[in-house]
Amino acid sequence: MWYRLRIPLVICFVMGLLAFTQEFIPHPWAGAFRQEMTTWFRIMGGFGMFLGAYSLLHMHITRIRRKMLGWGYSVFVFIGASAMIVSGLTEEIIEAVRPYPQPDAFSLFQWLYDYVQVPCGATVFSLLAFFMASAAVRTFRARNAGAALLLVAAVIVMFGRVPMSEYLGGLFGAPGLFPKSADLLMEYPNMAAKRGILLGISLGMISQSLRILFGIERSYLGGGD
Amino acid sequence: MAAPRGNTKWQTLARYVAYLVVAVAVLVPYVLPLPLTFKPSDWAKKLYDRVEALPEGSAVLFSFDYDPAAMAELYPMSLGLLRHCFRRNLRPIVMTHWPNGVGLCKQLVEKTAEEAGKTSGQDYVFLGYKPGGSNLVLNMGESLQGAFDRDYYGKPTEGMPALAEVKKLKDIPLVVDIAAGGTVEMWIAYGRDRFGFDLGAGCTAVIAPDLYPFLQSKQLCGFLGGLRGAADYETMLDKPEDATKGMQAQSLVHVFLIVLIISANIGYVWTRVVRGPED
Amino acid sequence: MAAPEETVSPVRRAVELSVLLGLLVAFLIVSVVIEAPTTAKRIGIVLGAGLTLVMYSFLYRDNPLFKIAENLYVGVALGYGAILTWKLSLKPEIVAPLILDPPHWAAFWGELARRIVPIILGLLLLTRLSRKYAWLSRYAYTLMVGWGAGIGIPIVAHSYILQQLQAAVRPLNAAAASDAGFWASGLAMLGALVILIGTVTVLFYFFFSVEHKGVGGAVSKVGIWFLMVSFGASFGYTVMGRVSLLIGRVQFLIYEWLQVPQ
Repeated sequence: MWYRLRIPLVICFVMGLLAFTQEFIPHPWAGAFRQEMTTWFRIMGGFGMFLGAYSLLHMHITRIRRKMLGWGYSVFVFIGASAMIVSGLTEEIIEAVRPYPQPDAFSLFQWLYDYVQVPCGATVFSLLAFFMASAAVRTFRARNAGAALLLVAAVIVMFGRVPMSEYLGGLFGAPGLFPKSADLLMEYPNMAAKRGILLGISLGMISQSLRILFGIERSYLGGGD
Repeated sequence: MAAPRGNTKWQTLARYVAYLVVAVAVLVPYVLPLPLTFKPSDWAKKLYDRVEALPEGSAVLFSFDYDPAAMAELYPMSLGLLRHCFRRNLRPIVMTHWPNGVGLCKQLVEKTAEEAGKTSGQDYVFLGYKPGGSNLVLNMGESLQGAFDRDYYGKPTEGMPALAEVKKLKDIPLVVDIAAGGTVEMWIAYGRDRFGFDLGAGCTAVIAPDLYPFLQSKQLCGFLGGLRGAADYETMLDKPEDATKGMQAQSLVHVFLIVLIISANIGYVWTRVVRGPED
Repeated sequence: MAAPEETVSPVRRAVELSVLLGLLVAFLIVSVVIEAPTTAKRIGIVLGAGLTLVMYSFLYRDNPLFKIAENLYVGVALGYGAILTWKLSLKPEIVAPLILDPPHWAAFWGELARRIVPIILGLLLLTRLSRKYAWLSRYAYTLMVGWGAGIGIPIVAHSYILQQLQAAVRPLNAAAASDAGFWASGLAMLGALVILIGTVTVLFYFFFSVEHKGVGGAVSKVGIWFLMVSFGASFGYTVMGRVSLLIGRVQFLIYEWLQVPQ
């Protein structure tokens, strides 16, 4: 049906064309248009947050309802989310009603953030230190020239970036040798490669943007017709 | 090609040995401190010098775009930067693009302000969080007070002394993005290259190599990479704390890992010489 | 992050349970002995330390305690993000000006007019959740995506392509025009050439529509070498980053939980 597909694609094209052309128009109207659009999208971004929250909660509700494997753990998602939402909203209401704010008052909302979210969030990714070390020791082998080059570069960077390298270099009268080697590696071959990758990605982004504007790329529309 | 069954127990043992090595290497320096010193990197020095060069009373915008997962690396450098600003009587304007980082930003700002005896709204402003990403940056570029009409504490930003003569991003001489994700590139493209302010960056070690092209193209004026960057800044501020202490453990772990990797490779090469190349 | 389920013998399970109980008792004794958890802060630190150690139990193997902590974290993070989005975005932008703290009647319509379109578009976004009305969300999405794509083209072209190409060539000009000594200029020229060659060869490597044979193959090969160096550097930095996160947690356990003097 034309109003389900054609009109949205036309909107996308027109919006993209306006966004592109306003970049090159120095008139204040172009600035005002940009300001208005970015304000709209900033407000819409707030609604988008709830989309993500609903999706996650829906996934866990489904696990509980269907008694899927490990469904009991999904209950804790709701416990955590409820505790935060209830405490947060309660504090909002108290703040609105209480005439004099008390900055040192105990906040359960902040407490849960500081002593549940922060430790868990910080720890989850720190587990990777062990996994990386274990994987590197067990599988990182110089099987060919490319892998050997990768290994040498990794060792130079890992060693050059820590103070131990300056200490050991100092024993040989050249404290700056290893850090400088790491710097040169980062600022020349690494930088050149990253620039090549960045250029490739940027060209890809432009071509993908054009595909979206011309309606060739439609995956963002979601399923259906 | 599946490993022979008999190797599974050895593989498990090797895994736990690697875990133990890492754990011991991290813990040893807290029992036996190592006498290690280091020179700050050139890029860290450039960022420090840029902040030093700002006239007293200048506004500096900090975008602390990280959450608790990256706080070990980025919290110390954020602390260092805010302390430096307060020491120099600059006016930090603090915000974040990450909702889960607001609590950390609040802690940072309140802790450093209390240390320096600074007042919110007068000497600094904590704007909090707004969604929008690049759209928010474009918004701020046209009107800061339009994008954030109130600060985190609900005070109107219009007429706020901490935002005196700061109406848009162009009025801010230096913006520093402390990032755990792709916000540095966003600030470069949608902020720095459009509105002409100087942009410095601090980031996790994972994304640090990706920012070198922007350093060489001078789109970034200075850069702190990972815990080492935070330790460099603490050294320059002459206030060694968590990051500097952490470098001792970092050194030991890196050396242990390098020795293990090289030994494993020597063993591998020896095996290939003795047994011949693998299929 | 779940590891595959292992079959564990009853004897091993009994041993694990005893060790777990022993560790729990030791944890509680240590926490109480160091400082009695009588304040909210101390209770929180003990809870944080407990959650940290529970998370690390995953190194031994996946277990119910880890799964509980993981799911609790997901819920808490979700709730926190939702409240912050409400408090710092939706409430001050929409609810406060129109409902909680509306201006004078005459100004109210002006405030509503300014916000009605993004409010409707935001609500249209939410229709994505309905199977029947999901097509309505396309109106909002196409507006956002079209804007992002359109404004992104000139910005990406300027910041990520033109500026970067300029920076790839500028050092060559500077080195050629430099009046420093022979060795200094020579080294600068060499560095500039390395940067230019690396950039071009890596970019060429990613042109898969051209067959990498002959001269093209040689260029591609050089690109691969540069890529290997950069991947090695990325690996080194990634190890550094992950170890730093571990150090952060260890410092929390040592200085805040065990209160070892700094």
